[in-house]
Amino acid sequence: MDTFEELAQIARTRPEKLKEQKKKGVKIVGYIGRFVPEELIYASGALPYLLCRGGQPEPPDAVIPYMLRFMSPYSRSQIGYHLLGIDPVVPMLDLIVVQCSDCHESRLADLFEYFKLPTVRLGVPPDWKKSLSRNYYYKGLTQLKEKLEVLTGNKISDEKLKESIEAINKIRALLRKVNLLRRQQPPHLGGYDFIRLNHYSFYCDPEMLTGKLKNLYEGLQKGKSPFSRGAPRILLAGHVVGVGDYVVPKLIEDSGGIVAAEFLDEGMRHCAWNVKMSGDLMRNLGETYYLGRTPPSIFQPGWEERVEIMKKLIKDFNIDGVIWYELSFEEIYDLECSIISKAMAEMNIPLLKLESSYEYSREAVGPLTTRAESFIESIKQRRS
Amino acid sequence: MAKDIYEDFLRLTGFEEDEMSEYLPRWRKASEKLGLTEDDVKFAVEKQLPTYFAIELEGIRKLLGCFVKETIDLTKANEYKERGVKIVYGILPAILHFYYALKLTAPNRVFVSFPDIFLATATNAFFHKLNPFLEEAERTGIPYGCRHCALNKTRYAARRLGIIPSPDISWIWGFICDEAPKTDEFIRIYHDPEWKTYITRLPHDQPLGTVEDEVIDRVEYLANQMRDGFESVQKEIGIKVSEEKIREVIDIWQRYATKLSELSFLMAVDPQPLGAVSGRLFWEPLALPFNTGIEPMEKALDITIRELKQRVNNREGILPKGAPKLMAFGVSVNLPWIAKMFEENGVGIPFSEGFTLAKKQLKPPTFEDPYMAAAENWLRMSIAVNPGYQAEQICEKLMTYKADGMVFGLMDFDRWLGSSHRLLARIVEEKTKLPVFYIEGDIWEDRDYSQEALRTRIESICEIVKMRKA
Repeated sequence: MDTFEELAQIARTRPEKLKEQKKKGVKIVGYIGRFVPEELIYASGALPYLLCRGGQPEPPDAVIPYMLRFMSPYSRSQIGYHLLGIDPVVPMLDLIVVQCSDCHESRLADLFEYFKLPTVRLGVPPDWKKSLSRNYYYKGLTQLKEKLEVLTGNKISDEKLKESIEAINKIRALLRKVNLLRRQQPPHLGGYDFIRLNHYSFYCDPEMLTGKLKNLYEGLQKGKSPFSRGAPRILLAGHVVGVGDYVVPKLIEDSGGIVAAEFLDEGMRHCAWNVKMSGDLMRNLGETYYLGRTPPSIFQPGWEERVEIMKKLIKDFNIDGVIWYELSFEEIYDLECSIISKAMAEMNIPLLKLESSYEYSREAVGPLTTRAESFIESIKQRRS
Repeated sequence: MAKDIYEDFLRLTGFEEDEMSEYLPRWRKASEKLGLTEDDVKFAVEKQLPTYFAIELEGIRKLLGCFVKETIDLTKANEYKERGVKIVYGILPAILHFYYALKLTAPNRVFVSFPDIFLATATNAFFHKLNPFLEEAERTGIPYGCRHCALNKTRYAARRLGIIPSPDISWIWGFICDEAPKTDEFIRIYHDPEWKTYITRLPHDQPLGTVEDEVIDRVEYLANQMRDGFESVQKEIGIKVSEEKIREVIDIWQRYATKLSELSFLMAVDPQPLGAVSGRLFWEPLALPFNTGIEPMEKALDITIRELKQRVNNREGILPKGAPKLMAFGVSVNLPWIAKMFEENGVGIPFSEGFTLAKKQLKPPTFEDPYMAAAENWLRMSIAVNPGYQAEQICEKLMTYKADGMVFGLMDFDRWLGSSHRLLARIVEEKTKLPVFYIEGDIWEDRDYSQEALRTRIESICEIVKMRKA
């Protein structure tokens, strides 16, 4: 079994492992969103579990009796599996931390609470340029730290926090190195695999993961690319590719393209930076998670900065075209798509918007495939 | 002499004969600017206003007149800007004290408006002609398929079409939904670099059932957001507002709110003395600032209260005595046919949840500081808080006004206000044991949910309510 498959296997069996740990008295903390630092959860002695599933139509539909149907299928999925009785993890969680940066997440938190699941919210003000808002988030992190301490009965000391920051920093650094290999043409790793690798990284023990990532990195350096030299390089942008929602990245690569880079707000480790390990560690976490990373689409002002970051990605990763992967009824991303389209048109970079409600039946995938194939073909023609 | 439909329109909307020479040319000009044709005005005069508004009452005619004057005023916003008047916009919902305080401080130096909701109401409620705005927005960057809010589309389209100028500052209240503030960012980047914005936000992070106005940290945070916002607005436009002016506005607001509360109780009388839409229209100055002021509305309200008391004394109603009454989350003024359809089916829908006040809202503020008072006031509003606390307030209102049930929905464009309705319906039904309904639809526009599409649903609800009450 190669390293990639090993990681996949570990991620798949994570629920059973968590169950065993829970029996031993370890607390399991589910969390939703990029603003919840897993470092804090590890430092408390609990085990984190990222709730980030997607790609199936039934779970979002299961939420409709309790929620407007014009809501993000991704957010709805995070409780939808549980409502269908097919989520192995949610029922055993000791705490669910939900970041509340937008309406979709906050309404999801409402439902967790309505169904009496142990929920705590982390407020994330989108007006991020104001000190008032920053302090609000920092305060929220401190309150989360206190809640974790009460839950686990463990004090989160600076020493423990430093250890967990260091462990996660190592993972980020390795993923960053793996990611940079993708600048080669053709790359040794496509987006379909890189996205899954990111997902697996959330469900592995950090120490073990570090070793596996090192092996993977070395293997990739030596290996051969599965892609053709002339394959168009695609930037996959949007909100999130959830765990299990792999139809679109796979379809792009099956259609002759390479997902050479991603610009996604959730579901990926944003690994271009590390959390500082000296000084006030809580402050460092706050600053990195709130201010240091690419602002998500909901942040305001945010879109102009995001366009600049996309432009840099396009240059650094030698991108030929952008596919905007939009989940139905995500109103902020829908508005942003118009902004991005305009910017891409000015750069003469082709853009394709693919929208999904996680309906991937044969009837739905057919037209999706045709659009992706035509897009990739048109890029090839532009280049020739 | 040929009949002048514009003149008829003004007459129908409470204008006095001695106002005609001044307002007739202005109204013609305003109509033209809004894309309203003579046929549209004729439609309002002959069909829309007589069908849906109680124009037999002087107070209602005067009220409609206030809307017409504000419409005329809004179409002059470009001229104001050229003359150096500072333009300040905002979005719904907001605490209006700050906008009215600006007007009280510098009535001729500042123009205040929430242009989207005002235009949407004025064009659709009276002329059923919002669609050109929506289509303009959909053609130019805000796609149709994602169910974006009609108000945001209207704001954007109004700017694109040149009906409104760029603001000197648009103070965006992002305390409820995400799309409204982000639309302003969209307008600035996508279309109008001069569209200057100040944004305030408040995360929805309170656990279900939290009485948010009693969480001091939250009140303080919100007050600081409001203070920052208002100070930025004042700095941007160079108008300094004293705290006394804000307090003065709070007094005016409380006075108007008390009268509205009296109106609500009159609407609750059996038989119901006034149609839902006419009653609901009086709440607009608490939802959006009128640059022409709240005082003319107050006069119209005084007249209407007097007229309704007379109707109550005479036991006159728009429905038979004993007809069931429902509370709606929001009675739509933009689509007056919705409330009318309930009424035609023998069920009154005189109250809007968002436009009736809980007992706590009528209490004086706990805090002296005007920002703390405004923040507390905000967090006493059911629409601004978590669904647990909101449900408590809804139940209280249902009891206070002795409603026979509740209708949620018609907010499917709103990822905050509309997204909790199914959950709220469950909580409220469990607590009150009253029948609670949910209608998927849109209170601003009816392209997707037409009269025919909703008729069966509304008729069924009415039948159920009547059977339960019988």
